[in-house]
Amino acid sequence: MRLHLRHKQQHFAVDVEPVGTGYRMVIDGVPYAVEAHLTDGGTLALIVDGRHFQIGLARKGRERLVAINGETYTFVSEAGATAAHSMAIVAPPEIVAPMPGKVLKVLVHPGDHVAAGDGLVILEAMKMENRLIADSAATVVEARVTDGQMVEGGQVLVVLSYDKPEAS
Amino acid sequence: MFHRILIANRGEIAIRVMRACREAGIETVAVYSEADARAPHVAGADHAVCIGPPPSRESYLNITRIVDAARSTHADAVHPGYGFLAENAAFARAVEEGGLVFIGPSADAIAAMGDKPLARRTVAAAGVPVAPADEDPPREPAQLTAAARRLGYPLLIKAAAGGGGKGMRIVRSEADLPDAFAAAAREALGAFGDDRLFLERYIERPRHVEVQILADHHGHTVHLGERECSVQRRHQKIIEETPSPAVDPALRTQMTDAAIAVARTVGYRNAGTVEFLLAPDGRFYFLEMNTRLQVEHPITELVTGVDIVQAQLRIAAGERLWLRQTDIVSRGHAIECRICAEDPAQQFLPSPGTILHLREPQGPGIRVDSGIAAGFEVPLHYDPLLAKLIVWAETREAARRRMIAALRNYAILGCTTGIPFSLDVLEHPAFVHGDTHTHFIGDHFPTWLGRETHRNIAAIAAAIDLLRAPHATPHEPTQSTSPWATLGSWRLGQS
Repeated sequence: MRLHLRHKQQHFAVDVEPVGTGYRMVIDGVPYAVEAHLTDGGTLALIVDGRHFQIGLARKGRERLVAINGETYTFVSEAGATAAHSMAIVAPPEIVAPMPGKVLKVLVHPGDHVAAGDGLVILEAMKMENRLIADSAATVVEARVTDGQMVEGGQVLVVLSYDKPEAS
Repeated sequence: MFHRILIANRGEIAIRVMRACREAGIETVAVYSEADARAPHVAGADHAVCIGPPPSRESYLNITRIVDAARSTHADAVHPGYGFLAENAAFARAVEEGGLVFIGPSADAIAAMGDKPLARRTVAAAGVPVAPADEDPPREPAQLTAAARRLGYPLLIKAAAGGGGKGMRIVRSEADLPDAFAAAAREALGAFGDDRLFLERYIERPRHVEVQILADHHGHTVHLGERECSVQRRHQKIIEETPSPAVDPALRTQMTDAAIAVARTVGYRNAGTVEFLLAPDGRFYFLEMNTRLQVEHPITELVTGVDIVQAQLRIAAGERLWLRQTDIVSRGHAIECRICAEDPAQQFLPSPGTILHLREPQGPGIRVDSGIAAGFEVPLHYDPLLAKLIVWAETREAARRRMIAALRNYAILGCTTGIPFSLDVLEHPAFVHGDTHTHFIGDHFPTWLGRETHRNIAAIAAAIDLLRAPHATPHEPTQSTSPWATLGSWRLGQS
């Protein structure tokens, strides 16, 4: 899969492919062998081509902040930005799997009321646990998957009914 | 000794003073504005009193509120820190009149050094070199021009009540004089409520070298050597070191003798700093005396082993100086980098924000004096200093390398800091050679756009974070105390 990132005015297209216990990532035609492990909430032990880096991570709105060797970077996911933007406008009631993976746990049941930021499904994909969340307050209409189920990218996992239309 | 001390300050210096109090078995009282209710200096105190709304004028500069807080909490002394009311003679007087001890010099000594022309005359009378000046220039334009011509260009217009670069102008030609004088007068009036100005011969490419002194109430004064603080932006220091690469033993003797003469002539007591400009020809001139603890005091502590804040407490309690000059031996080299919430790529404009991630460097010879914690929202009302990183090593070069390694291990996310800029300064060949002066940044970094030597690795890290959570759910603010502990757990995860 390809991720699109922007830092200041620079664009990064990062091709990601799971390999062994890590990933192969390609940026501007340069391949990197990547291993990563989150040591606490905000510190990433990253190994790139055998070289170790200790990375600070934080999130601020849509920004992904990265601290490395005394330098800091602010990335925004451009593809993600479009998705999040359209989601904010049309608020699609279907929560879909962003990539192929395995449903580790469905956190909600039909009829549950959720607030913005509440977890809906934990999806294991690309060897990472992803917590899919509600973008705004809603009632759960349907859960279409069960724990342990393998899903395709784009497959609907949960259907919501939003409390009121999104303002923005 | 005291039983309970109120610290009339905030941030890293309040915490630094509290540390000294705690070690001495003294209870601490913090004061805070409404913007600082969750500040680390409040959490770290034994008691805390809110003294008003966020603006400094209504809180940290409110003499009545602070003295009331000290009395209501039964404190017996007040430590002013630096900045805010630290060099305010009226505050020192109000504290004493409230029946409390002011941990610092007498109000008279503060006043004598606060008026810059008066301070110049006082120290000149004691035989300390001062730059040629006109201390009371005429305001009438033709007469002012004549006075400036007598002094010679380039010259410096300075505010009599001044400090911090406010009301200061460099004038290189007669044509620029009237406008510069008028602008400086307006600025001085705005900053100090006093538009008195004076003219001083401008020293080109000086180094800023200052001498730390300690004086007790019994007539004993010692010095703790010099600090060089030439690397400055907006007339404010960002990197300091000791000893100065430009000061040899003979010059050190002259400068420290002069500093002690300055202190004696105003009957100075407690900790103070005499600042000099050191010209490229080796001559030095009195600049001003800071009648308080300095931001950069830790570098002196690391080379001398003297705890300057502890010394302030003991001196204020009336103790006789326990150090003779011969007891004070400087060893090795220390460097400090000020870690400020500001953007060096945007003329060092303050950049407040919430600290979302914090990892502080550790290791031999590394000291972090910090006023922040993960989750703390840095208020925009105050000085942007977040923390100070101080290192010690046996030589200047070893200290420089240690500082670089420590800065690379310092991670602050949530507000922009000068860490990457400091790295570029420390790696600059002129800094490596000790070739520093007060125009160092303007000369070597006229524009600085950022330091980005790990773009792709950073993009890989951001990609990993996106894979973990495609939707931007904020992390809880995180703080890593030990990088080695986290590395250890990584290894466990792999085995």
